[in-house]
Amino acid sequence: MSDMNALHEDYESMSDEAFRGLLREWIETHYPAHLRNPRRRLGLEESRAWYRLLGERGWLAPGWPTRHGGMGLSAAKQLIYMEEWERHGCARLPDSGLTMLGPLLIRFGSEAQKAFYLPRILAGEHFWCQGYSEPNAGSDLASLRTEAVDCGDHWRVNGQKIWTTMAGHSNWIFMLVRTDRQARPQAGISFLLVPLASPGVEVRPILNLDLHDEFSEVFFTDVRVPKENLVGEVNQGWSMAKALLGFERIFLGSPKQSTHALERLERLARLGGIEHQEAYRQRHAALRLRLDAHRALYERFAEALRQGQALGPEVSMLKINQSELFQAICELALEVAGEDAALLDPLAEDAALYPAGLFIQSLPTTIYGGSNEIQRNILARQVLGLPG
Amino acid sequence: MNEPMHDVDLAERRERVTMLRDSAAALVPADGDLRRVRAWRFAGNGLDAQAWALVCEMGWPGLRLAEEQGGSGLGLCEYVALLEELGKGLAPEPLNEVACLVSLLPAEWREPVLRGERLVLPGHGAGLVADHQGRLLGQAKVSLGKAAHGWLLMNEDSAWLVDAQGLEGQALATQDGGHVLALALNGVPAQRLASSPEQLRRVRDEAALGVAAYLLGCMQGAFARTLDYLKVRKQFGREIGSFQALQHRMVDLHIQIELSRALVEETAACLDRSVAPGEAQRRIYATRVQAGDAALRVCREAIQLHGAIGYTDEADIGLFLRRVLVAASAWGTQGGYRQGYARLIAEEAFNG
Repeated sequence: MSDMNALHEDYESMSDEAFRGLLREWIETHYPAHLRNPRRRLGLEESRAWYRLLGERGWLAPGWPTRHGGMGLSAAKQLIYMEEWERHGCARLPDSGLTMLGPLLIRFGSEAQKAFYLPRILAGEHFWCQGYSEPNAGSDLASLRTEAVDCGDHWRVNGQKIWTTMAGHSNWIFMLVRTDRQARPQAGISFLLVPLASPGVEVRPILNLDLHDEFSEVFFTDVRVPKENLVGEVNQGWSMAKALLGFERIFLGSPKQSTHALERLERLARLGGIEHQEAYRQRHAALRLRLDAHRALYERFAEALRQGQALGPEVSMLKINQSELFQAICELALEVAGEDAALLDPLAEDAALYPAGLFIQSLPTTIYGGSNEIQRNILARQVLGLPG
Repeated sequence: MNEPMHDVDLAERRERVTMLRDSAAALVPADGDLRRVRAWRFAGNGLDAQAWALVCEMGWPGLRLAEEQGGSGLGLCEYVALLEELGKGLAPEPLNEVACLVSLLPAEWREPVLRGERLVLPGHGAGLVADHQGRLLGQAKVSLGKAAHGWLLMNEDSAWLVDAQGLEGQALATQDGGHVLALALNGVPAQRLASSPEQLRRVRDEAALGVAAYLLGCMQGAFARTLDYLKVRKQFGREIGSFQALQHRMVDLHIQIELSRALVEETAACLDRSVAPGEAQRRIYATRVQAGDAALRVCREAIQLHGAIGYTDEADIGLFLRRVLVAASAWGTQGGYRQGYARLIAEEAFNG
């Protein structure tokens, strides 16, 4: 089994540069050229071969411990890993199992759960989606109402989830469910693992503004879920889910989207022959400066991670600044594109340029992962200590 | 083109504007229903024939045209009011295109166009040139061009009429569900129109003001829906519109809309009184830039204020953004007008 070789590689004893070089060379050799900088998030079938290849190399799960089949990387090396993938324009994998559920199971799951689920994620057998949001529980997630009732030998689940990313490309869902209606909202929530093939589960795709069925509604009607599919203690789901959010926010605060968009902006300006125009140069320079500043801010948080420090609520500022900068760059790109900004498809002259699509895809970044309004509330209350 | 308006009783004129606004309800449902606009998207040749027949029945394409040419000779104040109403309901009909070019058409085209029997749409060309036999060479793009019987193709100082019959272009789909027809002309028979460069410039400028008015409508439509939503959507046990952070954002958008309205109406009134060409153009460019910036901002923020539902195709709010992306690049681009405005004020300063 080729994984065995991977397990013997001791990444932590490598210098950062050697590790970076190892990744870079392998990515450049193996990454399918046609999947570089895809126009949209890839579906399961498009990314399956690449997922398998990474699995065989033992490189799917940089943050998991080696005994669970991960690379066992420190936070610092994980950042390098992320940077190299971004640098090459690699598509995001169907990665909820790897980045969300896996770490949660490793920390809170039973031995039986770890032994059952983790290898199946790495084998590309289970693809997971996250069922948190509900129609009336978005920013106010703690008010969720999908309910799991204890029926002795199983849970009976009824309710509805929404904005379930990649549900149509997954076969399992990890979800937050209400298991105690009497407790205060955060205290009555549990964490449940449900096969999407269970009788009573219905997935309805939602077309997004980019006309892509990236997310779905998922309906649960008297769904029977085995007792052992609950992770951790009953009514402890909220604190478990929250424990994972810090990493998500530094991930969403990475300068990658803005860097990518700025490069597209520059290409558009060259295509339109306006890159030397004073008006353009001024506006471009202002955005470039904002990106330089953002990178510096990001580096401070990354350095804290490298030092093994936990990320506090102040990491929310990264997500706010990144997403709003990303949108500002996309907005200038729209103007630079001129009448091509009206088009529904990438430009004939350069298929990597799709100004309206880039702009539209920038819009949800201030909504998902905790909207920027919620992030500002977190900063105001938890960092600045303002009254709530 | 139009009679000077200062001798017309102001009250009578206001009444006419109100009537025109009301009449727009024939095309734009007063309750904000956008089902017709949805059905139009990505379907057919880009023209809702029934709606267009109604537009012509109402005499809108001839609104700006002198009465002796078969129009109603109304001013820009009336015209922008109508376009604003159509923008509120995202009417995809190419009224601003046809109403602006119809004065350039020879009678044998103008009359059937006004009656709605034929459709001529304008196109803007790169390197358009006629050979010695009067045949047209170069490239042009015509919004909704597949729906037209003829194309009126323009460069800076000339305009040609081309019969669309037998000619094909490449239709490029646009974000709003329509298309732009890209034409490669290699010696196509064309009728050169007897229009002066000043006449063409005025057509383009007035069309730009029309775009600004339409965008003013779009932003109001998006804003009104968002305002309603903030009053009903509840999180944390309250209407989200009760949160001060969101209230302030809405107030800022409201100010942008009112700035746009002030410019659109002031510019229309100035032009109806007739001002020097340079000043007219400067006012129009300022209006167009303000409306373009504000429309994009309002529509972008409207999606944010709707939250995740705003990022779905089934929520109507996204239709406003997608329409604005297209409307704001008709008759010149945002960047073009921004630079044009900078150039005009520099010239004014230079000329003292």
